[in-house]
Amino acid sequence: MGRPVAIIGSAQTNHGRRFDVTYPELVKEAVDAVFENTGISPDDIEGVVSGTMPSMMEGVALTHFYFADVLRSVGKPILKTETCGSTGISLAFTGYYWIASGMADLVLVVGSEKMNEGDSQATMTTVVDPFYQRYFISGAPGVFSMQCQEWSVKIGIPEEKVRAAATRLSIDHHNDAFDNPHAHIKKRLTEEEVNTARIITYPVRLWDVCPNSDGACAMIFASEKMAQKLGKKVAWVKGVGYSGEEYWFGDSEKAIWQCAIDASRQAYDMAGIKNPRKDLDVAEVYNPFTFQELLYYECFGFCNFGEACDLTLKGTFSREGELPCDPSGGTLCTNPIGATGLNRVAEAALQVTGQAGAHQIPGAKLSLAHAMGGVDQFNGVMILGSDK
Amino acid sequence: MNRVGIVDVAMTPGVETKDYFLDQVFRVSKEVLDKAGLRREDVSTIVSASSDVFHGGVSCANSYYWDAGAAFLKNGSRQDGESLFAFIYAVMRILTGHHDTALVIGVCKGSENPDDDMLTHFFTDPFYQRQVGLNETVAAALQKREYMDRYGITDEQCAGVVVKNLENALRNPYAHVKKKVSVDDVLTSDVVMDPLKAMECAPKSEGMIAMLLAKEDLAKKLTDKPVWFKGYGSSMDKFYLGDRDLLDGQLGNAAQKAYDTAGIKDPKKEIDVAELCEPYAFQELLWCEDLGFCDRGEGGRLLDSGATARDGEIPVNPSGGVLASNPYVTRGLYRLAEGFLQIRGQAGERQLDRKVHTALAHSTHGFAGQCHAVAIIGS
Repeated sequence: MGRPVAIIGSAQTNHGRRFDVTYPELVKEAVDAVFENTGISPDDIEGVVSGTMPSMMEGVALTHFYFADVLRSVGKPILKTETCGSTGISLAFTGYYWIASGMADLVLVVGSEKMNEGDSQATMTTVVDPFYQRYFISGAPGVFSMQCQEWSVKIGIPEEKVRAAATRLSIDHHNDAFDNPHAHIKKRLTEEEVNTARIITYPVRLWDVCPNSDGACAMIFASEKMAQKLGKKVAWVKGVGYSGEEYWFGDSEKAIWQCAIDASRQAYDMAGIKNPRKDLDVAEVYNPFTFQELLYYECFGFCNFGEACDLTLKGTFSREGELPCDPSGGTLCTNPIGATGLNRVAEAALQVTGQAGAHQIPGAKLSLAHAMGGVDQFNGVMILGSDK
Repeated sequence: MNRVGIVDVAMTPGVETKDYFLDQVFRVSKEVLDKAGLRREDVSTIVSASSDVFHGGVSCANSYYWDAGAAFLKNGSRQDGESLFAFIYAVMRILTGHHDTALVIGVCKGSENPDDDMLTHFFTDPFYQRQVGLNETVAAALQKREYMDRYGITDEQCAGVVVKNLENALRNPYAHVKKKVSVDDVLTSDVVMDPLKAMECAPKSEGMIAMLLAKEDLAKKLTDKPVWFKGYGSSMDKFYLGDRDLLDGQLGNAAQKAYDTAGIKDPKKEIDVAELCEPYAFQELLWCEDLGFCDRGEGGRLLDSGATARDGEIPVNPSGGVLASNPYVTRGLYRLAEGFLQIRGQAGERQLDRKVHTALAHSTHGFAGQCHAVAIIGS
């Protein structure tokens, strides 16, 4: 399908409360770094893809205007991709399709967010409609708490076991983040600290939730011809899958979550993956909430429904386990929303090119990157490999 | 390269309605599929265009209309602010071979959000431009003043664009503004932002539009008269107005890319109809120069010669253009739809007398044309 497409390099900024830079300066940091990392000149770029969260979060509408200069996009075609929380992975897809279509050989893709200059929870409350849902779905935690409850009841997992597995993920990921130079929250946590942390929306507690991060991620996609010319180790795009479902949260089935299942199966089919737990070497699952990561293991076929908690407690998905998930610390530790999905792709690319440093999974050849968005409504999955 | 065909299009008129947003999105999506004899299940991918700031208080606009726009459990994406971006992204998706059909949807319900000047004001950066009240009309006023000073473009010539386009709009059932006006009417209308008069500025309109694309063999099966994608170009300019020459922007660059892919050497001869995005009347004259229809500074004389009239050498905006109907985000896709209907000979009363083989659709968004996109389609 289409022409082979490679990711030839990426750059993530440091994340956190970046009050040391303006928003365009933050974007510039990632863009300058990706040109430096790859040795590519901005003049050689044939197209630029930009994306953020909606204008209410940015304080500026249609941010591609504002970033035009720092994106080095002047005189070039641009696409502005936005799909809410899944923006990052949708940006990567835009870069992929642009190259695969034959319309360009070298495309720059940039996602960014300056969460600490906006109000993310107020913004996310406006994603739901003003008449029916807005009164009871406040921000992101409300939606994800309901999903967690639906999942544990429907699949029939005792609440204590869900809590124990979520706690394990929280401790592991906040620990993993120490090995990721770009991660925002790095913390050694005890079981007791996680289990007794203040409740955000039951059953979600403080350490089950991602932070508000400022950050940007830039990535360069290339055709096979261009990748060969550069002669560097690249990550090849092996599979892409995306699916979205109904807007009305109450109409939707979120435990056996069809759009998550479909997105992963589209990507697996394209990449020839039959048994994801065995075939994949590492997965960067979008985990803004610990509970959701568990649910994704099941929807993505890493295990059967009902098995995620037991396997997590056994260490199947930890750094040394059978299928390491989020060795970067994931979205749980670093969440600049418009960039987050692209960070997942960048991490997955670093893993299959052996460039992940202290959090490298030894010998990783096939990786999965994922992001989610909308009113718990969109899922996108990209598979990357070290071989074409 | 495999070709991509436009199979059909469905759109709403630009006048304000009390219709429910999601009903409107559903109706155009259903209508275009019905025309092609397809069911929702047959569509491979959906790419929409919308913009949160033009979206009546709902953020992440495409979450809201995802299922109304035929995308339930489908692979799709969305472009922010410019509907020709959604068109070209859908074309790309088909060219990869991943998808054999693509539904392109543009949504903009003008009646449910504030004035465009208020919304485009939020394109400004919060530190320097916002305090001085910059918006798209202010930027256009600066651009018009410079155009008059440097090339001697007159108010009468700008008014001539309004007279021509609104006259054309009388034949267009989708137009928002329908009235016969004279040069005098335009010149004596209120000053909005000197030197711009009220009637030189586009209205704020509704516009829900759906266009079905298919790969070559399927397009031929789905319709007797597919219209083919020929070329595309887009180009971005610098953000700060002071860093730019407002009369030498990026449209020439965007057009050249589109002409190169479409193999067009002499645009004035080879293009049979041009649908341009002219939210301010003088911009049609300036864009004609950038597109190579005349030399720099000659836009006014091109209009005076009658070349851009319905029966002229290079008819520009026989639909009435954006001055007659301005759904901000979707106006580019409306331009393309008009070109499509002209090529198919289905433009009704506004159908040109000449045979239309090749059409150009242009769109712009941002201050004084910060970003331009040009698409060429043909029989």
